[in-house]
Amino acid sequence: MFGKYAAFIIPSYLVSALVVGGLTVWIMVQYRRRKAEIRELEARGIRRASSRER
Amino acid sequence: MTRQSAEISQPAGFWAWLASLANPTRFMGIADRVIPWLAALSVALLVAGLYMCFTAPEDYQQGATVLIMFIHVPAAWLAMMCYSVMSISALGTLVWRHPLSDVSLRAAAPIGAAFTFISLVTGSLWGKPMWGTYWVWDARLTSVLVLFIIYLGIMALARAIEEPAQAAKSLAVITLVGFVNIPIIKFSVDWWNTLHQPASVSRFGRPAMDAAFLYPLLVMALAYTLIFFTLHLMNMRSEILKRRIRVMKLKAAEGVR
Repeated sequence: MFGKYAAFIIPSYLVSALVVGGLTVWIMVQYRRRKAEIRELEARGIRRASSRER
Repeated sequence: MTRQSAEISQPAGFWAWLASLANPTRFMGIADRVIPWLAALSVALLVAGLYMCFTAPEDYQQGATVLIMFIHVPAAWLAMMCYSVMSISALGTLVWRHPLSDVSLRAAAPIGAAFTFISLVTGSLWGKPMWGTYWVWDARLTSVLVLFIIYLGIMALARAIEEPAQAAKSLAVITLVGFVNIPIIKFSVDWWNTLHQPASVSRFGRPAMDAAFLYPLLVMALAYTLIFFTLHLMNMRSEILKRRIRVMKLKAAEGVR
């Protein structure tokens, strides 16, 4: 499809997809882990000052 | 409260909105609502952009390698835009002491590093068939490599300093010092003799590029920009949670004592 330039075009698109995809997954996983950690801390009775005021 | 006093107590417009975001809980609520829409729009634009890229004609000089331009150029723009966002956030920390400025700066750094990395790799893969080499130490390529190293340095510094207020100040100062590299990257192709071509989208107010290549490029640039803002909001949300965990753990430790 890309002729003699396939060896340059395909890796370019692959690297871009992997980096953006990997970054998105990393951010989502980190967010979920942190949410779970907060739930766990709250279950142990630890509250932030602002959440106790509410 | 009289109508007049109510008007005085409510600062109008953008600044009022920005000030209202100073409350992280309110920011989280807004981010939760905005992120799904922004993500959907990013994906839609990316799909449209990729369709336009792969149906664009081959360039008469570059052949099919013009396809690399559609992902390389937006990544390079984003690499610089992300650093500009970080620099504005740094000003927010030092001048306005906005509580979300440091959150924004830290959240943007890995995203900027990722786009700079994409720009370096795709540029290198475009350079080989066009210039005959993957890399040259010319002003444009070297200054973008320096930007990548600055991003990594900021990320390392963010992890190295434990105390949040001190870390915020140090990160803001280092980020602003590093901003000197942005105009160097932008104008390196004009100031020095480089292998890299000069700007071709906005040259004397008129693009030096055929519409067949310009439109896919602009749609891809818009898609990349929306991807950046989606990821930035997502990572800011995560950074706020990290701070909450730290506060909760400190409280738990105080309770033990």
